[in-house]
Amino acid sequence: MKRVFALLAIGALAPMIQGAVGTFVPLHYCPDLGLLLVVGLGLCWRSTAGGVALSAALGLIADLLSGSLFGQHMLLRIFAFGAARACSQQLNLRGVIPRATFVVALTVVTALGTGALTAFFGAGHGVDGEMLRELIPHALINGAFAPLCVWLVERISNWLSEVDAGHQLLQLRPRNRLT
Amino acid sequence: MAEFRNRTPVTALVVGLVAFAVVAMVVDRRSAPGDPERELSGWTGAILDIAAPVQKMIAFPFDLTRNAWRHYVSLLDASDTNEGLRARLAAVEEENLQLREALIASGRLARIAETRADFEVPMLPSELVGVDPSPWFRSVLIDRGREQGVRSGMPIISEHGLVGLVTATSTRAAKAMLVLDRQSAIDGIIQRSRSQGIVRGRGTSELDFEFVIRGSDVRIGDVVITSGLGGVYPKGIRIAEVVSVSDPGSALMQTAKLVPAVDFGRLEQVFVMLRRGPTMEVIYASELEGDLSTMATERFGP
Repeated sequence: MKRVFALLAIGALAPMIQGAVGTFVPLHYCPDLGLLLVVGLGLCWRSTAGGVALSAALGLIADLLSGSLFGQHMLLRIFAFGAARACSQQLNLRGVIPRATFVVALTVVTALGTGALTAFFGAGHGVDGEMLRELIPHALINGAFAPLCVWLVERISNWLSEVDAGHQLLQLRPRNRLT
Repeated sequence: MAEFRNRTPVTALVVGLVAFAVVAMVVDRRSAPGDPERELSGWTGAILDIAAPVQKMIAFPFDLTRNAWRHYVSLLDASDTNEGLRARLAAVEEENLQLREALIASGRLARIAETRADFEVPMLPSELVGVDPSPWFRSVLIDRGREQGVRSGMPIISEHGLVGLVTATSTRAAKAMLVLDRQSAIDGIIQRSRSQGIVRGRGTSELDFEFVIRGSDVRIGDVVITSGLGGVYPKGIRIAEVVSVSDPGSALMQTAKLVPAVDFGRLEQVFVMLRRGPTMEVIYASELEGDLSTMATERFGP
């Protein structure tokens, strides 16, 4: 349970950090920490149901802080989790380059999904040239940060699952050499 | 069979969450700024309330560095700027004097002074604490909320012009959609020719002005102001300046590109106009009517 709350807190903090950094740096030059966190969950979280619920909750928090329609980020985060989980079962996403490539592709798909959902449910334009121009650097930066973020999510998740289970790691120490 | 049984709860959860998200989007689309659903309370409001101080704290060291640098740079050419501003002030004072003389001569100054009180709107200064975490939306978080009288549907301005509209509020923070957002559409007029059109956000630092070609006179350098139609924004707030006008071809509608009056990259302080536009007041009045009819039903029966 600690694992869920800790990742929920990190997930809530991620859009807040992005929002603060966005006042100084254009956001398409910043990594989408929320998306990367969900990809990390998709690759390392054991329970699919728990991962889906956690991704949806992280999406809801992003919706509250964003100007998107309520539910838009939630839907896209569920999709991102599902895509990461399905691709990790079919493809080898263990290395740095496969993970980065996957996140670049996923960023493009989720951005196009955002544009399509805004056009369908909202009142704005769909995907246009301006959006595509900003999408390229954003996808590349997400890809560059993906291996590090996924590794961090894995480490945090593993560490907290040990804490949750109350396991003490067995430490093997070399004996004093007999003289 | 066992695999199917294992997967059923996950599938049901995904279907349920997707259905919830779709319904939430439809409801959100249908609710206008000013609706009670836009006033966030409980855990949703708490997240917005927490976000404002957290973002302020994160941004503090960056703000400090930026301000120190800006002050240092501005000191370098302060003397030249001062000279220029003094000359401009003298010219504007002269022009102002001439305009006052003309108004007094036409007898309109006294009438303007009488009606001015009706147009004065209380303004609440507010600080911008964060921007939208998604690069595909243009909204901001401000550090004033319902406690200070901010409600969704209230326009936000800066000393340079129109900034946007409050879309959701919590106790101590509010979320506002900028005029740059792809979902923003404002009824505007060209100040010089009074040609009417729609100012649309493009999600970038520029805006589009869509107008009907017949009878419209739009030129580069024209200033676009709010028309007051649509009822959300008061009339006469500066929005942007025309920088280019597209070739219409055979189309009925023409588009001009605008540069906003407000420099959104340097926006730090804004003012919330503590009065909603006429349309907002109608929605608010209908809420009030609803409340009154509920009270009447409770007291006197259906």
